[in-house]
Amino acid sequence: MGRANWIRGGALIAALAASSIAGSAFAAENLTMWVRASGANAATHLVDLWNSGHADKITLTVIPDNQVVSKLATGVKAGETPDVISFDLIYMPDFMRAGFLIDITDQMKADPNFAKVAPAFTNLATYKDRIYGTGFTPDVSILVYNKDLFRKAGLDPDKPPKTLDQIHEAAKKIRALGDDIYGFYFSGSCPGCNIFTTSPMMVASGAKILPRGADEEPLDGAGVKQVLQLFRDMWTEGLIPKSAQADNGANFVANFKTGKIGVQGAGGFLISDMKKDAPNLDFGIAFLPGAKEGQASAFVGGDVVAIPKGSKHADIALQFIKWELTDEAQLEGLAKNNILPSRVDLADNKYFQSDPRLVTTAKAVAIGYVPWVFHFNDMVNSDSSPWIQMIEAAVFDGKVDEAIAAAKAKMKEIASD
Amino acid sequence: MSAFADLAPGAKAIAAPRTASASPLLGALCVGVVAIMLFPLLMCFSASIKTAQEASAVPPHYWPSALSVENYLKVFHYQASLPVYLANSFAVAALTILLCLGLGTPAAYGLARFPVPAKEFVFLVLLSSLMVPYQALLTPLYIMAASLGLANTYLGLAIVHTVVQLPFSVYLLRNSFEETPRELEEAGIVDGCNSLQLLRWIFLPAAAPALITVTLFAFIASWNEFIAALIFMNKETAFTIPIMLVGVRQGHFGAIDWGALQAGVVVSIFPCLAIYLLLQRHYVSGFLSGAIK
Amino acid sequence: MNRTRSGYVGLLYATPALLFVAAFVLYPLLQLFLTSLTNSSLLGGSEYIGWRNYLRAYRDATFWRALIFTCKYTLIITPILMILGYLAALLTLSAKRFGKFTRGVVFLPVVIGLGSSSFLWFWLFDEQVGLVNKLLKDLHVIAQPIVWFVDADLGLAAVTASIVWKVVGFGMILFVAALQAIGDDVNEAALIDGASYWRRIAHIALPLTWRTILLTTLVSAIGSMLAFDQFYIMTAGGPESQTFTSVYWIYQNSFIYFKQGYGAALSVILMAIILTGSALQLFLMRRGQRA
Repeated sequence: MGRANWIRGGALIAALAASSIAGSAFAAENLTMWVRASGANAATHLVDLWNSGHADKITLTVIPDNQVVSKLATGVKAGETPDVISFDLIYMPDFMRAGFLIDITDQMKADPNFAKVAPAFTNLATYKDRIYGTGFTPDVSILVYNKDLFRKAGLDPDKPPKTLDQIHEAAKKIRALGDDIYGFYFSGSCPGCNIFTTSPMMVASGAKILPRGADEEPLDGAGVKQVLQLFRDMWTEGLIPKSAQADNGANFVANFKTGKIGVQGAGGFLISDMKKDAPNLDFGIAFLPGAKEGQASAFVGGDVVAIPKGSKHADIALQFIKWELTDEAQLEGLAKNNILPSRVDLADNKYFQSDPRLVTTAKAVAIGYVPWVFHFNDMVNSDSSPWIQMIEAAVFDGKVDEAIAAAKAKMKEIASD
Repeated sequence: MSAFADLAPGAKAIAAPRTASASPLLGALCVGVVAIMLFPLLMCFSASIKTAQEASAVPPHYWPSALSVENYLKVFHYQASLPVYLANSFAVAALTILLCLGLGTPAAYGLARFPVPAKEFVFLVLLSSLMVPYQALLTPLYIMAASLGLANTYLGLAIVHTVVQLPFSVYLLRNSFEETPRELEEAGIVDGCNSLQLLRWIFLPAAAPALITVTLFAFIASWNEFIAALIFMNKETAFTIPIMLVGVRQGHFGAIDWGALQAGVVVSIFPCLAIYLLLQRHYVSGFLSGAIK
Repeated sequence: MNRTRSGYVGLLYATPALLFVAAFVLYPLLQLFLTSLTNSSLLGGSEYIGWRNYLRAYRDATFWRALIFTCKYTLIITPILMILGYLAALLTLSAKRFGKFTRGVVFLPVVIGLGSSSFLWFWLFDEQVGLVNKLLKDLHVIAQPIVWFVDADLGLAAVTASIVWKVVGFGMILFVAALQAIGDDVNEAALIDGASYWRRIAHIALPLTWRTILLTTLVSAIGSMLAFDQFYIMTAGGPESQTFTSVYWIYQNSFIYFKQGYGAALSVILMAIILTGSALQLFLMRRGQRA
C-alpha cells in the first residue's frame, strides 16, 4: 500500500507504454513459447493473431503432452526456459509451489479483463494469494448425444438426459436398436478422459474428488459410488462396447463419430472435430448431470498461460498475456475458431450465435470445477494412478466399494507426501 | 569382400541340405517368411494413403477404398514443416557418425593391435554404457550440456547418441581390426610405417566394411532417438523427426490420428530404408569381418 | 618392437574414447549415484537422506513386481529371438533361390525406430482399428475380436510379437556371419562321414558358433532387461500395473511422480542386477570355452 506500490506500478506502466510506443524504433524481439501438443491448434490461432498486429514476434514450440513437465523442470534446472509457456492447467499448483513461474499479481489485478475470467482459472492460478497465470485456451467437458439415435429409439432429441438414471434409460433404449449400436461409451483405461468426463458427474452429485492436502478426504460423498455403480450396471447389461475396457484414450471419441454410440462424455473440442470428421451426424450437447435433476457440473480444462522463471522477455510476455484477455483476442482469436473464451462475459458472443451448442459449452465453463491439487499426475493421470485403478476395478471387476476404499487410501498417501 | 556373392564354401557345405527335393520346401518357407515380415509394413503404407477418416475406421479394411495424400500433407505441413525436421535429424546423425568413428576407430585399433595393459578392462569400460538405462542419465547429461553451452545444439544431442552407440562401434571395429591378416601389417612395418600410417594405409581400408556398418547403425540409432532429442532441444525449429512424429499424431486425451501416425512412420522409415537398400552388401560384409568372434 | 612401449601407444589411441566415456558416462553415473542418496525432486529441492531410498526400494512391491515381469519377459523373448534368428540364418544360407532376398527382408525391420515400430504394432493390435484381429477373423482362427491389452499375458504376447518382428533380423545377421566363418576342412570331413543335415548343424555348426551365440544372447538379454519404449507405447503398464518393466517404473518415479532421487536409486539397483547377471554369464562362457 502506499507510495511504493504507486511508484512501482507507475514505472511499470511507463515502461510498458514506452516499449509499445518505441517498439518499432527498437529492434523487434523474438519470443519463444512452449505449448503442449493437444493445445497447439488453439494456441496457433492466438499467436498468429498477435504476430499479425505486433512488431515483437512469438514462435511456438510444440511439446508432446506428457513431456511438458519434465521438459520445463529440466529446463529450469539448466537455466534454459522459454519466454512464455502454456500448459495443462492441472500442473499449475505443482509449478507454483516449485517456484518455476513469475509472480504477476499486481499487473493482473490492475487489468480489468482479468476480473472477467472464469473463476476456475483464477482459482487455479493463485498460490498463497499470489497470481502466476491465467486461462489461455480453455476446454470444458460436456455430455454429447446422438440425436438421430434418440429419434430412432423414441426419445425426444431436444431433451438430453438430466440425471444419471436418465442416462441409463436412454442407453438401454438405444442399445435395443441393433447389435452394433451401443447406448454409452467411455475410455476404460484412460485416466485423463475420465477425470474430464466422469468426475463432473460425481461432483454434480455432491462429491469431492481430489484432496488439497493430507487433511482433506479424497473421493468424499455418495456421488462417487453412484456414478461408478451406474457405469458398472451399464457394463454388465452390455450397453457399453467391449472395446471400451482396453481403450487408453486412443479411441476416446472415435466410436461416437461413427454414429454408433448414443450418449457419452466429451469436450468442447468435439464440436469442431465433428464438423470436420462427421458433418452429417446430428448431435446435441448438454451439461454433465448428477444424480438429481438440476445438478450439473463440468471439468474446466485446457491450457493456462504463464511466464517461467528465466524468461528473457518477461515484459513482452506480460503484454501478451494481457492482450490475450482483450475482446479482440478472445473473440477473433478464440471464439471465431470455435474455441472457448476464458472470459465468462463473452460466452454468448456473435460467433457462437450460429451454433447454440457452442453457447451451452461456453456456459459450462461457468458451472465447472477444476481440482486444485499437488501431484495431479500421481493421483490421476499416471498409468498406475489410484483414480484409474478405482474405475477399472469398480466397473470391470464389479468391486465398487473396495475400489473406492483402496483409491482413498492411496490418494491420502500421495497427498501427504 | 562381398558377402552374398561368394559365400565361404564351408558355410555353404554346412548349411546345404542333402537332397534336391528340399529346395521347393525351402523356397516356400522363404516366401512365407517374407510375407509375414512385410505384412505390417505394407499395411502401414496402405493406411497412410487412405483418407484420415478411413484410417480410423472401425472395423478396418486392409486396402484403401479411395486414395488420399491428406495424411502426408498433414505430416509435411506440421508446425515447422518436414524439411526442417529432416535437416535437423540429418545434422545430428552426421555428427553422431563422426563422433562414433572418430572416437571408436582409434580405440578399437589400440585395443586390437597393441598389447594394452589391462586390455579387457579398458574394453569393458568402453562398453559400460550398454548396461545403463540411458534415460536415467538424461538429467545429469542435460545439466552438464547446458553449463557447457551445448543445450539446444546438434553437438550436445550427438554426444548423447554417441554414448549409446559407442560400445557397439568399438566392439565391431575391434573385431574387424583383429581379423586383419598379420602379413599386411608386417608388410607395412617393413616399408617403414609407424602405427598411425599403418592405421591409415593398411587397417582402415581392410576394415572398410565394418566402418560402413558402424556408420549405418550410428545413423539409424541417432535418426530414431526421441527422448534425449526432446529434452536437449528447446525450439521447434531444432526438433528432430521423432518429436514431430509424436506431435503430429496426438489429439486430445491420447486420441490418435491413425492416418497421420502411419504417414509419419513411413516418412521416418524412408531414409533408413533407402540407405539400407543401397548399402546392403556392406552391412553383411561388415558383420562378416567384424563380428565373427 | 619394445612391447611395453607399444602397449602404451595402444592406450594412447584409446584415450579419446576413454575420456569421452569418463566425461559422458562415468561422471553422470557418479552423479546418478549421488542423487540416489538424496530426495531430489524434479520440481526442485534436494536433501541428503543416505540409504533411505534403497530401503524404500526394498519395500516397494511394484518395483519387485516390475523386476519379475522384466525377467519373465527376458526369459521368454531371448530364446525365441535366438532360435528364430539361428533358423533364419540357416534358412537363408540354404535356400538357393530366395535366400539372399529373404535375408534382406528379415533384416528390414531392424532399421526402423523402436518407437515407430511399437506404434505400428499398437495400431495392428488395437481392438477396434487393428488388422491383427481382422486377419485372425478372416482366417477363421477366432470368432470374436480379442481385446489384447486388457489382459497382461495377451499384452505381453503382443509386445513380444512386435519385438521379435523388429529384432530377429539382427541376430540372424550375426549368426550368418558366424556360420560363414566355419572352415572348409571341417565340413568336408563331416560330409565324407555322411552326416545328415541336422546332425551337421548340431555337431559342427552349433559348437563352432558357440561364442557368437553366447555373446548375442547376452546382449539381447541385457537389452530386454532395459526394455521400456515398447511397453510404454503399447500397454501403458496395464492392466492394473501388471506390465510395468523396471525401466518403465523408474521413468514413472522420476518423471511422473517427480522423485528423481528415488528413481536414481532404482536405476542403480537395476544396473547392479544386470552387471551381476552379465558377469555370471561371461564367467560361465569362459569356463565353457576352456572345457
